Amino acid sequence: MRSERSAGPSAQTFVGITVIWLVAAFVIYPVFYLLQASFDVGDPEARPPTAYGFDNFEGLPKYWEIMLNTLYVSFAATVMALVFGFLTAWILNRTNVPFRRTLEQAMAVPYYVTPLLGALAWSLLGAPESGFANQIWRALGGQDAIIDIVSPMGIAWVMALFEGSVAFVMIGAVMKSMDPSLEEASQINGAGRFYTMMRVTLPLVTPGVLGAAIFVFAEMLGSFSAALVLGTPVRFYVITTAIYQLVAQYPPRIPLAAAMGVSLFAVMFFMLFFYRRIIAHRSYVTVSGKAFRPRLTDVGGLRWVLFAICGSYVVLSVVLPILTLVYASVQRLAVAFPAVGNFTLDNYRTALTQNAVRYAMSNSLILGVLTATIGVALTGMLSWLIHRSRIPGRGLLEYIVMFPQAVPRLVFAFGMMWAWLVFPIPIYGTLWLLLIAYLTVFLPLGVRTISSVLLQLDKSLDECGEVCGASWGFRMRTITMPLLRPGLLAAWMLLFIASVRELGASILLMGPHSQVLTPAIVSAWFGSSSELTAAMALIQTVVLGLAVGLFTLLTRRASRQGG
Amino acid sequence: MPKTPTRRFALQAGLAAAMVPVGHQAAAQSRPVTKVLDFTTSADMAKAEQEGALLFYTHDGEAGAAAAMDAFSADFPKIKASYVRAQTGALYSKILAERSAGRFDVDVIQFSDVGTAIDFDKRGAFETYNSPQAAFYEAEFLSDPAGHYFCSGMTFAGIAYNTDKVKAEDAPKAWKDLLDPRWANVTSTKQSTSGMQFVEWYELRKLYGDDYWKAFSKQKPHGFDSRAQLFDRLAKGDDKICALAEWAAYVLYHDRKAPIAFVAPEDGLPATALATGMVTKAPHPEAARLFIDWLMSLRGQAVYQQHPDLLYGSVRKDAPPMPGGVRLRDFKLLVPSDMQDFLGARKKFNADWNAMLGLL
Repeated sequence: MRSERSAGPSAQTFVGITVIWLVAAFVIYPVFYLLQASFDVGDPEARPPTAYGFDNFEGLPKYWEIMLNTLYVSFAATVMALVFGFLTAWILNRTNVPFRRTLEQAMAVPYYVTPLLGALAWSLLGAPESGFANQIWRALGGQDAIIDIVSPMGIAWVMALFEGSVAFVMIGAVMKSMDPSLEEASQINGAGRFYTMMRVTLPLVTPGVLGAAIFVFAEMLGSFSAALVLGTPVRFYVITTAIYQLVAQYPPRIPLAAAMGVSLFAVMFFMLFFYRRIIAHRSYVTVSGKAFRPRLTDVGGLRWVLFAICGSYVVLSVVLPILTLVYASVQRLAVAFPAVGNFTLDNYRTALTQNAVRYAMSNSLILGVLTATIGVALTGMLSWLIHRSRIPGRGLLEYIVMFPQAVPRLVFAFGMMWAWLVFPIPIYGTLWLLLIAYLTVFLPLGVRTISSVLLQLDKSLDECGEVCGASWGFRMRTITMPLLRPGLLAAWMLLFIASVRELGASILLMGPHSQVLTPAIVSAWFGSSSELTAAMALIQTVVLGLAVGLFTLLTRRASRQGG
Repeated sequence: MPKTPTRRFALQAGLAAAMVPVGHQAAAQSRPVTKVLDFTTSADMAKAEQEGALLFYTHDGEAGAAAAMDAFSADFPKIKASYVRAQTGALYSKILAERSAGRFDVDVIQFSDVGTAIDFDKRGAFETYNSPQAAFYEAEFLSDPAGHYFCSGMTFAGIAYNTDKVKAEDAPKAWKDLLDPRWANVTSTKQSTSGMQFVEWYELRKLYGDDYWKAFSKQKPHGFDSRAQLFDRLAKGDDKICALAEWAAYVLYHDRKAPIAFVAPEDGLPATALATGMVTKAPHPEAARLFIDWLMSLRGQAVYQQHPDLLYGSVRKDAPPMPGGVRLRDFKLLVPSDMQDFLGARKKFNADWNAMLGLL
């Protein structure tokens, strides 16, 4: 006992220092190059920079309209995503809604889908002239367009449905770990279900919701596909479409793009500061030493109304887009009322014979598993260091971790490229570089997901173990980790999916033998056709869905055996 | 019939030549010429096969890059050909960053516009290799001095319209017809990332003056980066007119029975050349030379002309017709002749074009 106790702090210190070093290498190292580029006012193609100055930052105010557009759609999309996310997470985790498990699985599907696919699907459905819904509407005698997705609110809608679905998973993970006795107490004292949800459930999941809000907002700031597909037709641009323009044009203006990207961190800094202030002075502990069994509230006849709410979300975010894409992918030129001769399987034939699909898919899956597994361990430790340890500078660590989320990946990738190119160990151009890149850019995703659950754990559980003489490692293994299980599983799944559908960093960092799939899908969109793009992205979605299904099956079996 | 392309692909001003270090000009070689398959090469075949690999950097899409590599590998199975692709701007930044960090993985690079190649050449980054295939190209399609890069294909653009929405008699026939107020808010074009868009802007400005684009901006055109989005929207009637309709994309969509028609204005069609060359310090120099010869040969050019993901017109003197039975020389092409002036105009184009599209 005595030896275990004395081994504790040293193991803790060792792990803590290792994790901090890793984070420093992963984040600060490329950030240094990014900052260097943002102050570069010399020949933009010369490395290292030949002259420094503030010109790039001084030029930013003239893009105020684009900044405003970005904040507008990001805010609208975050609000929508949080409302959908909270409501559906509450319905599926806290009530006895029918077909709960099926709905829960369907709810995660939008997150498997490459965001480009969601934008493409809704563009096919709701473009004012050619959208299937509008063609059907006019065929039925309607005038003009019944839906116009090609608008700022359309962009926010698509972003909320496809990129905001992460809010459901994050908030859901928190709700799973919540002791229902507090809600029961509220109801026993005469409060209604809605009142209980608003006054008890919502405040208790505040860190989860706030964490998700910050994360989702940052995700929206960096969102690219929806604005590209739905914004450009109406000359509505956001910061990522502007950055893309600066990076892709000749001569590229990477220093200006870097300055734009770095500036976004200022927005994130204030949001994170606000978040820490809120959670600093309150307790959100719902998992304490007292035993509880998660129980579902019987909502009576209301369960069918709640089912309809979840069902509508699933129809709008999964069924309708997927059916639209399937319909488009089997046509030569996608229209609502095709001639018989327009149907073809050529798009699938082309997709399946492309090297990208055949070889890149396996790279994507390998990277997904590695990123998720290493990422969960790394971000789990980071969350613990930030919220549970007493190491100095742990608050700073949280800001550092959020950096990759705040800066659009299209720009952050340049920082990583410059950093790892000159790194003495030759990993540039290999799959290892992509693994490091994914671990870096998904640090915030893992930390946010796990932190939300960690904040609900009562410290006294760990302290109890400590008093009994258990070492830090032993307490982590037998107390903290099992209690964090829902958060860790959710984080694994999110990291896996996010890695497989990653685009921004992969485009620049892929080597000739480390190709991954999503850039190929986007390339098809740029160079071939939306029908081929639909076929390729559907193949990716199916493979990802199968992988996630397999993971769910394995973890369920493991937990049954464990139980 | 429209005339042959008359403008020079290469530098007229000798801009690049003046900047090229003497060192790698010394490589201007008299290498033995041998015949491989049905083309001649100065590459050492045995060494090329011994090197066993080739890395190609290209602006092309995934499918196009893979098609070119697959075709080369099919002809030379002992050489494992691979590629890295990115948009020209990002690709250029990537290779320059790699070279400044002392990494030399690339053997051959292809840019979507000559301006980038000229800048690359100014940095002394193209290796000199005088391919025996160069005899089949007019000097205007080779770098000046020859041997640094060559025109591996050409794309050109006219006007296209949706035949369900626009009657043939109403359709624009000339570039100036695009200024008709009836085409306001229904015309699409490309964004400033497109080298082809730069050529169109430059050449039409030369023909009709600055006022042309000022008047055009009143049409509130929709700008896109993706060829697929441009033609998808045109084919489905979201836009009625495309003001930068690439012939290659038109052929693809026409084959898919899209209701679209192509117009070749009498004043000419803006055209842009791809520039391909072997880089200095290539890790597989003989394989790189073999690839250059192959790509310049009828065999490689056939792949570039015929493959649906490439469809570039060949400037080889003896090139067969493109899909659809037409040849490059059937069109009057507008190619910038004063390269110094052309390259100097890029900054103004980027600023004007972005402002017109309401972007930056």
